[in-house]
This record gives sequence, structure tokens and C-alpha cells, in this order.
Amino acid sequence: MQLIKPLYWILVATCLAISPLHAAEDQHDDQDDHKEAQHEAPETKGPHGGLLLQQDGATVELQIFEQGVPPEYRAWVTKDGTPVTDDVDLNVQLTRLGGQEDAFDFAFQGDYWLGNGVVTEPHSFDVEVTLALNGKQYQWQWESHEGRTRIEADIAEQAGIRTAEAGPGSIERTLTAYGRLTTAPEQIARVRARFPGVITKVNVRLGDRVAKGDRLAQVESNESLKTYDLRSPIDGVVIEREISVGEIAGEQPLFAIADLTTLWAELQVFPGQRSEVAVDQKVYVKAEGVDQQATVNYLLPSPDNAPYTLARVKVENPEGALSPGLLIAGDIVVESLEVPLAVNNRALQSFRDWTVVFVQVDDTYEIRPLELGHSDGTLTEVLDGLQAGDRYVVDNSYLIKADIEKSGASHDH
Amino acid sequence: MINAILRFSVERRFLTLSLILVLIGVGLWSFQRLPIDAVPDITNVQVQINTEAPGYSPLEAEQRITFPVETALYGLPDLSYTRSISRYGLSQVTVVFEEGTDLYFARNLINERLGSIKNALPPGLEPEMGPIATGLGEILMYTVEALPGVTQADGSPLDATALREIQDWIIKPQLAQVPGVIEINTIGGYDKQYHVTPSPQQLLQFGITMDELVEALRANNVNRGAGYIERNGQQLLVRSPGQLASIVEIEQVVIANRHGAPVKVSDVAEVGIGKELRTGAATRDGKETVMGTAMMLVGENSRTVAQAVAEKLETIQPSLPDGVKVEAVYDRTTLVDKAIATVEKNLLEGALLVIVVLFLLLGNLRAALITAAVIPLSMLATITGMVQTGVSANLMSLGALDFGLIVDGAVIIVENCIRRLSHAQHNGKLPLRERLQLVFEATNEVIRPSLFGVAIITVVYLPIFALTGVEGKMFHPMAATVVMALLAAMVLSLTVVPAAVAVFMGGKISEKESPVISGAKSLYKPALLVAMKLRWLVLGAATALLLVCIWLATTLGSEFIPQLDEGDIALHALRIPGTGLEQSIEMQSQLEQRLTAFPEVDKVFAKIGTPEVATDPMPPSVADNFVILKSRDQWPNPDKTKDDLVAEMEEAVTQLPGNKYEFTQPIEMRFNELISGVRADLGIKVFGDDMDQLLASALEVQEVLETVEGAADIQVEQVTGLPMLSVHPKRMVLSRYGLNVEDLQALVATGIGGENAGLIYEGDRRFELVVRLPEAVRRDIDSLAFLPIPLPDGSYVPLSEVAELELAPAPNQISRENGKRRVVVTANVRDRDLGGFVEEAQARIAQEVDLPDGYWLDYGGTFEQLQSASARLALVVPITLAIIIGLLIMAFGSIKDALIIFTGVPLALTGGVLSLWLRDMPLSISAGVGFIALSGVAVLNGLVMVAFIRDLWREQGDLVTAVVEGALVRLRPVLMTALVASLGFVPMALNTGTGAEVQRPLATVVIGGIISSTLLTLFVLPILYSMLHRNDRKHKAVEEATT
Repeated sequence: MQLIKPLYWILVATCLAISPLHAAEDQHDDQDDHKEAQHEAPETKGPHGGLLLQQDGATVELQIFEQGVPPEYRAWVTKDGTPVTDDVDLNVQLTRLGGQEDAFDFAFQGDYWLGNGVVTEPHSFDVEVTLALNGKQYQWQWESHEGRTRIEADIAEQAGIRTAEAGPGSIERTLTAYGRLTTAPEQIARVRARFPGVITKVNVRLGDRVAKGDRLAQVESNESLKTYDLRSPIDGVVIEREISVGEIAGEQPLFAIADLTTLWAELQVFPGQRSEVAVDQKVYVKAEGVDQQATVNYLLPSPDNAPYTLARVKVENPEGALSPGLLIAGDIVVESLEVPLAVNNRALQSFRDWTVVFVQVDDTYEIRPLELGHSDGTLTEVLDGLQAGDRYVVDNSYLIKADIEKSGASHDH
Repeated sequence: MINAILRFSVERRFLTLSLILVLIGVGLWSFQRLPIDAVPDITNVQVQINTEAPGYSPLEAEQRITFPVETALYGLPDLSYTRSISRYGLSQVTVVFEEGTDLYFARNLINERLGSIKNALPPGLEPEMGPIATGLGEILMYTVEALPGVTQADGSPLDATALREIQDWIIKPQLAQVPGVIEINTIGGYDKQYHVTPSPQQLLQFGITMDELVEALRANNVNRGAGYIERNGQQLLVRSPGQLASIVEIEQVVIANRHGAPVKVSDVAEVGIGKELRTGAATRDGKETVMGTAMMLVGENSRTVAQAVAEKLETIQPSLPDGVKVEAVYDRTTLVDKAIATVEKNLLEGALLVIVVLFLLLGNLRAALITAAVIPLSMLATITGMVQTGVSANLMSLGALDFGLIVDGAVIIVENCIRRLSHAQHNGKLPLRERLQLVFEATNEVIRPSLFGVAIITVVYLPIFALTGVEGKMFHPMAATVVMALLAAMVLSLTVVPAAVAVFMGGKISEKESPVISGAKSLYKPALLVAMKLRWLVLGAATALLLVCIWLATTLGSEFIPQLDEGDIALHALRIPGTGLEQSIEMQSQLEQRLTAFPEVDKVFAKIGTPEVATDPMPPSVADNFVILKSRDQWPNPDKTKDDLVAEMEEAVTQLPGNKYEFTQPIEMRFNELISGVRADLGIKVFGDDMDQLLASALEVQEVLETVEGAADIQVEQVTGLPMLSVHPKRMVLSRYGLNVEDLQALVATGIGGENAGLIYEGDRRFELVVRLPEAVRRDIDSLAFLPIPLPDGSYVPLSEVAELELAPAPNQISRENGKRRVVVTANVRDRDLGGFVEEAQARIAQEVDLPDGYWLDYGGTFEQLQSASARLALVVPITLAIIIGLLIMAFGSIKDALIIFTGVPLALTGGVLSLWLRDMPLSISAGVGFIALSGVAVLNGLVMVAFIRDLWREQGDLVTAVVEGALVRLRPVLMTALVASLGFVPMALNTGTGAEVQRPLATVVIGGIISSTLLTLFVLPILYSMLHRNDRKHKAVEEATT
């Protein structure tokens, strides 16, 4: 007997001791132990579904109630199991990212203690609850973060996350309409012979540029047999010439002189856009090789009862590069305003039901649900949810969204 | 019969020996054909049906493709179940058949069914079956890369499109010819396309619609053959070539005639090489790349095929343009070679150790060699058997082979022969006849116990055959191989061994009692006598040891299946649904840079999204990363464990924003993708029609589950979250403009998605000609509202006028199972028994969740397998034990003796448990197999010992003397079998090479167990025997007459 055990152990030990592989080392790195105990969020839920804070017989059940009303704090206080309905000094202080503090005092509301004020989104803050009950002070503290993440500066840099300071901006919203270029009636002059007669001389050819008063042709009147000049009534280009020397000029127009230095774009504004378009709005006129600024000069109903309205826009054509009949696009500026606070559109991301930007405070990023106003292709006005001067993520904001959502951010109240 | 065989073997000893040559020949031939792989294939019998549907959203893919395909499969013979996913541009139906169904048969059936539904599918869509490959199929991956500074002929840098062209038209056609390769699957780069991108304004200018443009391109891009003409006896073929061949030619195509002037494509559109709307991308070391995966035909030898592909790659290299490099980044050969090297090393070292031990203990080189010869011979026989039964050689199947166990039978026979021969030779050299007779007798004396022993070891492997599913596929080959090896050894010890003894042990047999044995004997005798005096103490201690070990066993952790270390790391990088491919690539680049910074890492590459052949349909938000490690000697710290490295990597990459990770290994990852069942303990599937209702019900289920005690990691399958821009037609307004819904949809589809307008041929290469809006217009969704829609009268109307644009989340994929939509809620169980948890969950859900009509629940998950496995094992294990006892009773005709021998089993297990505990290893199936082997060895030892003691007792009549004498005589064989069996496993227990983790627990258990079992056989067994037989004054003759 005495032999067996030692012998056994010696054998087992020699076999195993030579093994280079020792027990797999403990892999748990205790990563979860960073938080201090007192800062841990209370996990127990109370009978009303709120967080249950307990200390020495005193309990506070704290809930953010947001069904049908803006989010508000509701609390139920009990001492040794009996509900306390008066003589309580209950205080909740929220410290948000960036140091903003919200404080709530509570008043009894028949059924529960109601905090004064709205708990604004995001519900991400460090909570400190103090309770004075029967001359005794109780205190709880914990972190309640949502929509928040931390990214080291160098990694953010490497990942191409760039921030900008929120500030005022000018917003110019446009809508695009298409239409063809036309010439205005006042810019085409059709020249006829005042007295019928024989053309004795023609001075211009098709395409010639003429100034007002330039002689176009000479006609020998049938009645007086005098020769008189046909002169151009406007500056322009000869676009039609119907006669040659020797022909008889009668009633028909002989020349058409068009002034193409200004053309008119007739942009088609459809019913859905009509309410936004008005006279005097700025228009960016675009066609191949042309990009100029113009104004909506007139709005007129379209011919033949087509469902659209024509916005007539005067287009300068000093070089003659444009020609009537060309289709052009016009970006009509329907809204142009200076706003006190605007964010870059690239910064906007959807998050749950909100449109948010991510603000940066040191290495921490957090959602800011925004109430948005006017918007154009680059900037969007912010009505609420962000302060001027806040640094928000512009480039690669999707990365922050991805990072927050990947950890299964919860919205727990 | 045994007598007859034995006599034949001894009499016709030369004939018997010459049979060895046949065995060797057949064995070597089989060896050539033995499929070698690293791990057993655990894929089920499945066929994937992929239908590519460019532009289809998940909802449309499900409605138009998945549903008809699934419906067509109803009622297939041997169908186990179907599951499907519908995603952007893809419908994949996976058809799983019952185990054992012939894959080709299954594919034929499906092919036939698919043929019948061709008309039910939208035109142009073609369901295709996935490659005939299993989870082991991805044997080699390579990347195609341009060296820095390399340019194309026109001076532009060699981009992803050009590389993809090289892959598709130079590399792939050559690789696809390699025997055993079923598919070359490409991911990454862009399929080259010719893009015609009309400007909406220009179209409006000339009053041309997209349709007219597409039509014009189609109508001007055909070659026509026109028969032949016979002229002057000669035949002339007539042909009118009209195909477009270049960008310039495309630009010159006339679309229409306006006021006598032709409007050419170049007037309204840009033409250029464009990028396809791809569904997948590949990256390597932080940069985009083009990657090919060679997939192996099912049943091929992965090592051979991978080697062939790698060699082919080498020969392809010179045919590539200068500056383009193709490089294998993952090669299965490496792993297989490593695994095989591990097995080889273990087996060789084990065999050497066995031979040395035999020589030392037998003290006779010839005898040792004869015994050792059983090792290669039975190995060859086993290989033949493996080839015949289709078992591949891998870490699992070869992992449990212990030459010590295999030669046990032969050891006992040879030992006895030597002992008898040397005794007989004290009177001088024996004449031949007498010697043969002696050999026959000596063999016959011990053949029964050793045959029984082998039979018992074989029987104890039976429970392994009762495992099903993945566990079954892992361990069946192992059990099959061991049983084959044992049977082969058994046959050999019946035939070849006695024949060889008869032939080769003719000379003077000097049985030199080796100093080891005589030393052991001089220690053993007094020890045994003392032990017999203190028998109660010994028995008490043994019982106490047993109890301690039972308690110890419960404290050991457990793992179901051991993890084979593949040497490389794979990790899924998961991003939130809806993440775009380009965004993913950017995030991937940061991740890869971080990973390559590890000095242990050789290369990192990844597949993002879905490859060309959707063998693994992932959304663009998911990337499969492969981290190939350098060989250990290049590590800064070669002793760092892989677990440590993985932990370090995890820490490093977790800091990167936006990614979630799952670490795994390449083959493991592939298996998981293919098997893809619910991997949590409990999966509750909600079936029904409406996605919103399904999700609502699933959330209800989740809520109830959360309140069930023991529930952990509760998750609802993520089904929504893909942002979708919907263009809702305004029917009234459309009709006012004389448009219908289809016109609008066609315009949006062509404009955004693009429309195929034919093919451009460049030699063999063919590229799509696509019409779609310019990138700038497509991407600007703010301006999409102003997209002009041409009207029949040549005017236009903006999109916002006739349609409502809505941006809202939509299903990112629709999963179906057995032909019905489903959403899964999964949960794991902590600190509670699984059965109770599932019961409570079922009851609570039935009570508290109110499902609408037409919706139902199904419960699944690993709990099912665990339950069925334990149910089966609960039946099979007792039966096995009963069979063992039955065999023992048959052998001895005495229940008492049978039970005495049987006590060896629990006592042997104590050593196994202790050694596991000492090495801090968990209980696993591997360890379980070790315990099984151990029971066999324990019984074998006991059998031999008891048989001898009983014979002696019968001869001498004195129980105590018989016990002591018998025990002493059997000391040598017992020590020998124990030593060879345990030493044979020592290399396996100590090995750290690839695959060793599977074998280590097994070897550890056997070594520890054999040590305890030997001690117990040597001490407890004689004590028990003498105690239990104390009252049997006289031995009954009847008892011995049996067997």
C-alpha cells in the first residue's frame, strides 16, 4: 500500500512533467473590471419598470416616462416598504458629455414624484441621485450612456474621421427645371420693303452681324422709282434673307435680324414645384459650355394648356455660343438664407428614428439628435439639438454610427 | 475454428508468411489512393441553388425567384429540409438531403425540377447549382496583383478592372482544367464593362429616350452569317460582320435622325470602360485586390489537387502581362502536410518506442521484431480498409491509433511462446515437430484471452458509432480506423505471428530475463504479499481514489468537440447592415494594416460580400478575413501560444471603430457557413408571412425569454436595417402624362441599375455593354427628384412629379426555411439544465405569446442534438457494458470472474481522470475516446491475469499460491502491454504540432489510465480474486470446461 501511491505519483509525474505544454493559461483578462463599483448602473427593475435604487431601507424607483409625453422623470420613493408621499427632497443631476448639467427637482403628483423639466435626448449622461429623507442623506451615482463611443485620437486620425465646428452657414436650395432657349419677339426684327420695288443691291449675307442703322439692301420703289435703303432696325445677326438682287420685294419679309446677345430660357416648372418658384429668384443656367447666373424674370402659363408653368429667364449670350432651341437646365434657387447654425450634410446619419450628428469631446463621440430646418446639397440648418461651437464629425461619420451600433447600443430607461 | 486456423498457420507457416507479401502489395497500392486531408469532412449532403438577379431587392428576389424555386423542390425524395436567403441581387436556396444520399443523384433530381420551373421565373434569370464541393473544398486561394508602377498599354495604372480581366480570361480558364478542380471562384475587382452613360439633358435635347439608345446599340452590334454561294465550283461563305469592337465604334452608332441630322451615341452619352455594380470585393494587406479560390470536387484528395493547382499557378505566371503577379495566399497543402507530419511523427516515434520496449522486456531481438512487424502490417491492412470504406486519412481518423494497443495481442502470444520455448529448451534443442506443437500450444493458451481482449476493445468503440450529426462525422472515421487496425492485428496474431514464431524462433531461445523484469519481480513479490495482507486498506484506498476521481471528473470543464488548430486565423469582421462595399473596403484597409503590424503575421487577406459564384453569400457589411501566420521560428517569441496571439489581436482590432469580430479558423469558418444551422443552445423560429408581424412576434418571444431563468445572450435575428430608396409611382399623375408604371420603373432601373445592351467581343473575351446614368447623376439622390422622364410627345416631366421618393429601412435579407419566411430568436443557457430551461421556455411562450393565425413556432438548436445524443448514449453505453460483461462471462463461464475483471474498468478510468486533471484539460469527446480505449486495455490485462491465475489454481489447488505465482508470471506481459500501450501514446501526448490538440487529450487519458490500470491489475485484482474465491474450497471442474 505504501508503495502504491508514491509509485503512482512518480510515474504520472514523470510522464507529465516532461510535457512542454502546461495548462492553458487563464485567458480572461478581466476586461470588465474597469468600472468602479459605485458607478455601476443599477440593474434591478422596480414594479413600475424603472431602475431600483436601494440603500439602508430607502428605495427610489426612477423611471424616464415618455409614452405620449415628452420624456420626463417619474419616481416612487419608499422607506422600509411603505411609500413616502411627502417631505422628500429628491434630486437628480445629469452630467452630459461636454459638461452640460441638467438638474431635476421632484414634486409629488398624486401617484408618483414628477421631475420638473424634460429629459432631452440623447439619454446619455452620468446620473447622480440624492435623496434626503427623514434627515438622512442617500446618494447614488452611475453612468447611463447611449449613442456614445470612444475612439483614440490616432485611430480616428488614421480612419479619416474629421471634425468641424458647428456654426452659421448660408443655405441655397435649388430645384432643377429644363427648357429650351428662345428669342424674345423684341429681339427679332423682320425687315420688309416699305414700298414694293426691285431689289437693286443686297449688302448683307446670312449670318452677317449688323448694327442698328446699317444698310441691308437697296430697293427701287415701283411708284417713285426712287431707290431707298433698307436699314437694320436693331443690332443683330442676319438669320433670314429671302431675296436676291433683281427680285421684286413685295409684302413678304425680306430679312430677319435677330439679336442673339440675349436669349430667353423657358424653363418648365411643374405643378409640384410651382409653389416654390417665384419671380426674381436666382437661376443657375447650365448647358454644354455654359454656366451662368440669371434671374427668373417672368412666370407665365404655358401655351396649349400644358400642365406646367414657364419660367422665363434671360440668358446672356455675348459670344453667341448659345442658340435658340437648345435645351438648357436651370437650377432655380428657391431658398436662400443665412442660418445661425448649420451642419454639413455629410455629417448627417440616421440613428433609430432620428437624424443625428456625432459630436466630439476629446476622444469621445456621442449622438446629437437634431431638429433640422432648411437644407441644400451641402448644408442643413439645425434648429435644435446642437450648440454653435460644438465639434461634430464631418468626414467618415458613418464610422461612428457603425461603431456605436455594433455594440448593440441599448435605449434602456 | 481458432484451433484449425492456428494449426494451419503453424503447419503451413511459409505459405502464411508469404501472404504477408500480398498484404504489403495491396496495402501499398491502397496507400496511393488514400484520400488525405487535415480534418474529417463534416458537411451535410447539400445543394445550393443560386440565382443571380441583378438589381433585385430582397423582397423581389424572394417573391419572384426564391418562392418558385422552393415550391418546385417540394416532395423530393430524401429531402431533409430547405432553407433560403433572398438578398440584393441574389436568391440562394440550400437543399439539405438526408445523410447518405448520393450527391449526384440529388443534383439530378434538382436539375429536373429546376427545368420545369424555367417559365415561372422572370426572363433572363437562370437558377444554377453551386459547385459540387464540400466544406473542405476551398483548397487554395490566390491573389492577382500589379507590382507598383506597372501601367497598361495606354499608360493608365493597372487597376482592379484590368486585374479582374486577367483573372477571368487568362488565369481562370487554365486553372479550371486542373483535375479535381470543380470551380474557380472569383471575388474582387470589377468585371470589365463598356458603359454608355447618357446625360439626361442631352437626351432631352434630341428627344431621345434611354430605350431608344439601348435599342440602337442592340441593333447595331450583330454579326450575321448569310449561308454560302457556290461560284465556279468553289464555295464562298457569306457573312456580314457588324459587331462593335471599340469605344470609338460605339460612339459612332446612330440612334436617330433629327431634322436630317444623325444623332450619334457620342452626341448624347459618354462611352468608356466602367465599373459593374459589384456585390463583393477582396483586399490584401490593406489594399484592394482580385482573388481566386480553387474549389475541389467532392471526394478528391485535397493535398494532390492543391499541389496541382499551385504548380499550375507557377506555370501560368509567365503567361501574364509583365508586372502582374499571381500568388497563392492560402494553400491547403501546408495544413495537410503539417497534420500528416504530426501523425507520422507520432506514429513513428510510438512505433520505435514500442520496439525498444519489446526488446528490453522480451530480451530477444527476433521476438521483438516479430511483434513489431505487426505494426506496419496492420497499418497497411488498415489503409486498405480505409480506402475500401471511404475513410480519409486525417488527424481524427489516424489520431487514435496506438501501436501499443495494436501489438498487445501479438505481445501476449510472443511472450508466451518464448517463455514456453525457453523452458522446453532447458533440455536441449527441440525437434521441429515438437517445436511446432509447442508454438501451437503456447499460442492457443493465450489466444482466447487476447482475442477476447481485442473483441472487447472493438466493442467499446461501438458507442462512438451511435453519435450522429457533426460529432458522428468527426469521430466515426476515428472509431472505424481503430477497429480496422485492431481487427487486422487480431487476424495477424492468429496467423502471421505464430507462423513467424515457428519459422524464426528455431534456434536456441535464450530467454534472458532482462534486468528490468527481474528487478520488477523482486519488487513486486514482496509488495504483492504486503498488499494481500493489508487487503482492506488497499481496497479502501482504491475505492477512495475512485470516489475522488469521480468528484474530480465533475470539476473538469468540458468541450464537445476539440478544436483543431489549423495554424491560421480567420475572423469575420461584421459591420452594421447597410454598410456599403466601398465603406467596408475602407474599414477593411485599416483593419488589415493593424493585423499586418503583428510580427507573427505573414499576410492578411479578406473577402467582402459575395463572390462571383455565391458559395458564401455575405452582405457587403461582412468580411471574411484570413490571417496567415509565419512559421513559428520566425516569431519574436516562438513559444507564444496561438490563444495568446488571438487574444492580442482581438485587443488590437477591437480599438478600431465600427467593426465587430468573430475569431475562427479557415476550414472551421467554411464548415460553419455551410452547416449554418442555429448554433445557440435554443433557437425559436417564428414562421409566417408578414415581415413586420414576424419581427413583432419574435420580439415578443424575446421578451418572454428574457424572464426565463438561465437565459443568456438572447438575440433576435437581424432582418431589417437596410436603408432603401423607394420610388413609389403616382398612378394618377402618370396617366395624366400618358405614362404607365412600367415606363417609370424601366427608366429608374435603367438609369440607376443599368441595362444590358449586348456584348462587346474581344477575341474570346466578352464584356457587357451597359447603358446607365453617369455616376455623378446616379449618386446624387437629392437631385434624383429632378430626373427628367421623357414623354411620348418629346417633352419631359421630372421624376418627383410622377413618383414619390421615400428613404426608409427595409428587410436586408429574407430568410426562409422549408418554404416559409422565418425569424429566429436564439438564446444560450447558463447555470441551468438545458432540458428544464427549454421546457419552461416552451410553456411560457405558449402561454404568453399570442401568435396571429397563420404564424407558428418551431424549437430547434443544439439542445436537440444534445438531447438526442444523450438519449442515444444512455442506451448504447449500458448495452456496451453489458456486452463486455457478457463476453467476459463467455470467456470464463463465471460471473464472479467477469465482475472481478470488470472492476478494472472504473479503476483504470481513475488514472485517466487524474492525468486530465493534472494537465488541466477538459473532458472532451477525444478524452472520451481515450477512456473507451482504456476500458479495453484494462479488461485485456485483467483477462490475461485472471485466466492464468485460474489455470494455476486448478493445477495446484492452493488459491493464495496460485494468485501470487500467477500474478508473478503475468507480471511481464502485463507490464509489457501496459508499457507499449502507454509509451506508444507518449509522442502523441507531448506533441505540439498541428492537430496535436485533438490527440493530446486522448493520449493523456490512455497513459494515465494505463498506469493506474496496471497498478490495479497487479495489486487489486489478485486481492479481489483471492478474497472472492476464498470460500470456493474446491474448484468446480464444470466451470473450467467451458471456452
